[in-house]
Amino acid sequence: MTTETSILDAALGDTGAIARHAAEPNAAASRPVPFAWEPWLLWLILLGLWQGIATLIAGQGNPLLPPPTVVFDALWLSLPELLTGTWSSLLILAPGFALAVAAGVGLGLLAGTSPRLGRALFPFAKVAAPVPPTVYIPYAIAVLPTFHLSATFVVFVGAFWPVFQNTVAGAHAVEGRHRDNARVLGFSGFEYLHKVVFPASLPHIFSGMAVGLGFGFILLTVAELFGANAGLGRFVQYYADFGDYPRMVAGILYTGVVTWAAMSVLDRARERALFWLR
Amino acid sequence: MSQTANAALRIERLRFGYDGTPILQDIDVAVAEGEFLALLGPSGSGKSTLLRLIAGLESPGSGRVLAAGRPVAGPGTDRAVVFQNYALFPWMRVVDNVAEAVRKAKPTLGWPAARTQAAGHLNRVGLTGIADKYPFELSGGMQQRAAIARALALESPFLLMDEPFGALDPVNRARLQDLLIEVWQRRTPRPTVVFVTHDVDEALLLADRVAVLGASPGRIIAGFDVPFERPRRRAALFGDHRFHELREAIAEALDADTLARLDAA
Repeated sequence: MTTETSILDAALGDTGAIARHAAEPNAAASRPVPFAWEPWLLWLILLGLWQGIATLIAGQGNPLLPPPTVVFDALWLSLPELLTGTWSSLLILAPGFALAVAAGVGLGLLAGTSPRLGRALFPFAKVAAPVPPTVYIPYAIAVLPTFHLSATFVVFVGAFWPVFQNTVAGAHAVEGRHRDNARVLGFSGFEYLHKVVFPASLPHIFSGMAVGLGFGFILLTVAELFGANAGLGRFVQYYADFGDYPRMVAGILYTGVVTWAAMSVLDRARERALFWLR
Repeated sequence: MSQTANAALRIERLRFGYDGTPILQDIDVAVAEGEFLALLGPSGSGKSTLLRLIAGLESPGSGRVLAAGRPVAGPGTDRAVVFQNYALFPWMRVVDNVAEAVRKAKPTLGWPAARTQAAGHLNRVGLTGIADKYPFELSGGMQQRAAIARALALESPFLLMDEPFGALDPVNRARLQDLLIEVWQRRTPRPTVVFVTHDVDEALLLADRVAVLGASPGRIIAGFDVPFERPRRRAALFGDHRFHELREAIAEALDADTLARLDAA
């Protein structure tokens, strides 16, 4: 199960999971995984608890926690709206995240291999990276002409730093034997970057992408709370104004599923790209 | 040490150290063109460091290394290197690992042609039908064969080998020793080989000459010409009294060095 949980662990900032993963890559992927019933048991318990508590609360005339059946009904009814919202959110997330990966990997590889560029960039990164990107949201919305542009920008900023920093770490961690071989083979600087440093850094890059994607989703939904007229975060915020709790919970569950799906796609891409890691 | 006037490789009064700790001291070596020199020494004798200095992966503290008369200023494709830990790039197919070297030797060659030639180099080291595999799909011995193929593909006048068979089991080790001699002898002109090992038998089986290094700091304490005719057979070697005398002499040189160091301490 290590491979399946790693990206989420990474997104949650569990550096131990990243280290474990690097130490025994693909250990689980190579042999067939036996059916695990434990997660299903937990799902059942959670569902039962939800139903139980919801029934209890509803009996007292409290609408705050609607029971599962009501929520799934609301989910079914809102599906068209949610799908449109997903599309609108993806139009922000995808370009923001893609730009962040392109810029983070590109700059990270350069800064990680050129001591001069590193000296120039790292002090700035040290100050700029820890700024919680959520604080940019109001300013971005005020400065940039459209909400779409400001939200994309904020997603970009949030996803950029983890990708950049992990890429730099990956470039610094290139094994001495690979460096020696590149030198002995007479690789040019560009060849060294794209044939050695980039592939060797991929494990780190994927860790950074997982963290960046997690940040991207957080920033996306927060930005949508501020000023969107569609989208996942907007959906929950909109029905909160009406006190429509079944739809709010449905929106939260649906957002969880979308996030999980995006992480799974990234995890799959990681496994494909790192097949050589044994 | 025979100081050949027109040596292909010459190391002059070379010193090297880290942070004031001397690793190598007063190294003077000359290797003739096409000669097979073994650098033999215990761990801590700096023999691998000496090889890295010849490869240009390290720079000497003082003194210099001359390859084909030119001072070594960095790594170059005129000096192919085979490392101990089969250093193929794990993300490239085996054939592409070798094709990279082919492209360095023949920059005008396109990729398809380079791959074809790379497959040829792989065939010559006994690797057929694995060109499209990745290094992790190969055994250690096969990976090391591929590393040798890549070094040969550079078509360099110098071949530097750093305990290339140190991680292999005895059977594979013997096979690769034979393979190395075979490909070395087949090439004209023969490349000049510097071969680092801590195995006396390996040095005597492969080399024309053995330079013995003592430890702490590393320096050359003895040199031996290896008189056996090629092709050499292990069985014949073990039955030859000169083989045992040489073995004895090398062991004595190493023992004397160890004792001298113990006395000093």
